[in-house]
Amino acid sequence: MLARPGLPRFDYVRAETPGEVVALLAERGEAARLLMGGTDLFPRMREGTARPALVIDVKHIPGMQEIAVDGQGWLTVGAAVTMNGLARHPRVRSDYPLLAEAAGMVASYQLRNRATVGGNMCNASPCADTTPATMVLEGRFVLVGPAGEREIAAVDFFRGPGLTALQRGEFLRAIRYPPPPQGAVGRYLKLGRNRLGDLAIVSVAVLGFADRTAPSGYRFRIALGAVAPVVVRAAAAEALLAGEPPGEEAFARAAEKAVEAASPIDDVRASAAYRLAMVRVLTLRGLREVFRGM
Amino acid sequence: MTTHTITITVNGEREQLDVPANMTLLQLLRERLALTGTKNGCEAGECGACTVLLDGEPVNSCMMLALEADGHEVTTVEGLARDGRLTLLQEAFIEHNAVQCGFCTPGMLISAHALLGRNRRPTEDEIKEALVGNLCRCTGYVRIIQAVRAAAERGGGR
Amino acid sequence: MTRLTSDPVGKSVPRIDAVAKVTGAAMFTDDLPFGPGLLYARLVRSPHAHALIQRIDTSKALAMPGVKAVVTGKEVTALIGLYLVDRPIFAGERVRYVGEPVAGVVASSEEIAEEAARLVEVEYEPLPAVFDPFEAAQPGAPLLHPRLGEYKVANFIFPEPGTNISEHFKLRRGDVEAAWPRCAAIVEGEFRLPQIQHVPIEPHVAVALWEPSGQVTLWAASQSPFAQRDLLAQSLDIPHGNLRVISPYIGGGFGGKAGISMEACAVVLARAVMGRPVKLRMTREEEFVGTTVRQSLVARTKIGCDAEGNLLAMETAYYFGGGAYNDYGVNIVRAAGYSCTGPYYIPNVKGDSYCVYTNQPVGSAMRGFGMPEIHWGIEQIMDQLAEKIGMDPAEFRRRNCVKGGQTILTGMQMPRVDLVACIDRVTKAVNWGQKEPPSAPHKRRGKGIAIMWKAPAMPPNPGSSAIVRFNEDATVNVEIGAQDLGQGAFTVLAQIAAQALGVPGRVLRVGARLGAGGHQIQPLRVADRRQPHHLVDGQRGQGRSRGR
Repeated sequence: MLARPGLPRFDYVRAETPGEVVALLAERGEAARLLMGGTDLFPRMREGTARPALVIDVKHIPGMQEIAVDGQGWLTVGAAVTMNGLARHPRVRSDYPLLAEAAGMVASYQLRNRATVGGNMCNASPCADTTPATMVLEGRFVLVGPAGEREIAAVDFFRGPGLTALQRGEFLRAIRYPPPPQGAVGRYLKLGRNRLGDLAIVSVAVLGFADRTAPSGYRFRIALGAVAPVVVRAAAAEALLAGEPPGEEAFARAAEKAVEAASPIDDVRASAAYRLAMVRVLTLRGLREVFRGM
Repeated sequence: MTTHTITITVNGEREQLDVPANMTLLQLLRERLALTGTKNGCEAGECGACTVLLDGEPVNSCMMLALEADGHEVTTVEGLARDGRLTLLQEAFIEHNAVQCGFCTPGMLISAHALLGRNRRPTEDEIKEALVGNLCRCTGYVRIIQAVRAAAERGGGR
Repeated sequence: MTRLTSDPVGKSVPRIDAVAKVTGAAMFTDDLPFGPGLLYARLVRSPHAHALIQRIDTSKALAMPGVKAVVTGKEVTALIGLYLVDRPIFAGERVRYVGEPVAGVVASSEEIAEEAARLVEVEYEPLPAVFDPFEAAQPGAPLLHPRLGEYKVANFIFPEPGTNISEHFKLRRGDVEAAWPRCAAIVEGEFRLPQIQHVPIEPHVAVALWEPSGQVTLWAASQSPFAQRDLLAQSLDIPHGNLRVISPYIGGGFGGKAGISMEACAVVLARAVMGRPVKLRMTREEEFVGTTVRQSLVARTKIGCDAEGNLLAMETAYYFGGGAYNDYGVNIVRAAGYSCTGPYYIPNVKGDSYCVYTNQPVGSAMRGFGMPEIHWGIEQIMDQLAEKIGMDPAEFRRRNCVKGGQTILTGMQMPRVDLVACIDRVTKAVNWGQKEPPSAPHKRRGKGIAIMWKAPAMPPNPGSSAIVRFNEDATVNVEIGAQDLGQGAFTVLAQIAAQALGVPGRVLRVGARLGAGGHQIQPLRVADRRQPHHLVDGQRGQGRSRGR
């Protein structure tokens, strides 16, 4: 069946507290869906792949739209912060420019005014733009559910395409980012069919910083997007760069290692072979650009 | 299905309306307020023909529930010209032949208007970036970008 | 009469509709107000590419509150078609493409119509389907139109009943078999194009009103209101004088709003709720299956030249994927057929151009009307042949392009043309032959050249006219049959009229026609003049044809 014109019928409720959300989810189960920006939910409702009888708007729960830095320098991003909200926030731009860069590359300006970071994460598409940055910044996901609040690492949050660690009755309240290592430089490179506006065919986030505990004196964190069921860290490439002094040779070999971490598919946007080739190119470029800035 | 009483300000005029939960802001504007300048091109947040300003910021009105606009200000293309005087941006669109079939034009104007509000002298790249979410099938975009540039040079489209 | 203006023709002037468009005042079909009496329609579409319809049960849909009518192919058996009348308005005994309308529901809201449409039950018996036009042209392919021989057809279209071929244009010149042995080099190739959708930003939309008096009005985003009017009148037995097609502003068409795609459904549904206007609009998703597309093409071409690089022979076969039904399709195939050499002089030509039914959306007009499709292959194979004999592709084209005075493939003598001068100018402008660095290290720069010609695809005597009416106050209304979908036709015609009449442009109004009664929304393009009828019944006969 083709998508319908307009949205199907549903009940709408605006949640004011986390407890309300948890209670409603417990009561209605699969019949309820959470509303953040709506930019993923509404198309699905038109298509019929999402059929909630109840839509729970969670954007207005205190803190959901806030960005705050605490005394320890941790950044808390409310799950309902929009992409533009994240991209233009002064503290994010100054302290986490990689995150601002990634958020600013999502879709279009209009969609970035509604699409939320949390919604994007919970949609768990392997090509989500803010996920690679969140992985290399080692963000932590704050989940609220019947058992209360819990926090898990980004790498544990994503379980597969469209699958997250959210249990029944839980929702994502915020993402917390530790202060980046001193002097860290990051880049997000995204390859689409056009320069702006497309979904990622391949994306790479690289974070580099000086680290005396590493034999090479440096560490690089590399996350690959759109080339595996989830966004993956290129662990072997990272290990290589921790051991060998940075430079063209090490970067080239690390880029090869990154390719090995990828397991892309053929789809309408690109072939797996092309994606593998581009992993190498983007990783290499990312490493060069990050190192130049360090 | 729930119904909600909302108060919104559209083009400076306050309205109070009862809307069903599933009504989009686009449907509200076109069908309840007869503001047909904002267009339905895809209902998927892709084409931008439905772009309006929400508290001064461009959004796809097809991707918002009408009730989500409660308490907010909405500006449509009909609200750009003041007292019958076209904005510099609208005039630039006419002068630079940036209008062909005209269907994408309202959305383009809204996005460009917001751009000039936050960036008085955008570069060509910045204009393109701001208009990524506004598709045009007729013009090939060049004259639209020229019109936005020209309006910026003349004083920011206000 | 003294001239009050100074030669507006040729000047660049602001479009006369630009202010309306930039202020949001320009009303497109979906913007027109019809009041609280407006009803809405939604279509039930086939999920199968090819299937027999065993049973349609509309009872649940009809029982839904707010539903006014449900129409299927059982109630409407009329066929519609421009040159070959092969298309039912709602599917009859079978469906021939995914998305084909099987039923239409009219209700008091679009939401109710959609819900009710989902309650229409259809039982299908799937049949083998075919999507590749070459395959579909072979014996033994699933047959989409067993009754092809019974359809009304224009006298310049040649279908082959018993096959999926709805048009075969055949061209023979000289003797290709005798020419091949004289060729120093021969190349052969196959060139493929998929179907392409126009994707105008404004989706198709139509509002129809069938009054008890017999007056029928269709408001539609239409590139060719007169053609649509004529087709609908013939197909639905509406006297031409009773039918008005009103096209307000159109949000792009590119050929996709030229023929009939969903407008006939709207009219038929309006008849079922006589006296109430009915709006039918396409979602963007429906645009891709439910409106027309550019035909796909499989082109198999063989060309040969002598040692000096003079083209001696071409053998080419075009298999156009016409989709499940024809709209403009057969004429596009014909135009491609008589243009098949491209703008080259080739003394021996064997050309066959086939329009082949495939289980896909309806193939019809799209910008270029066959020309981009065929030149895609022609220009590549010319390059390949030039390479084979070691000749520069621009030089190959200078040598072989058609020149004034030569007789081209149709037997027509080419009037004065200077393609060589064009090639010279272009090659000079791009520094042809000089390698130039790319704009970035990861890019490559190459230079290519292509030449093309455009077949008019129109009869030699098409009608084009204007009615100029002077109002009481000396303002002027110029009523024309052309349509402005953003290309500026009205502005240009206003300039021409101003110059011809010697009046200032501001006293002119182009396009508006104040019809008798009904909605008067400015500016309108109204097709309600009588148009000559051209289709003949069954046999070949005299008749003017319509083309684009």
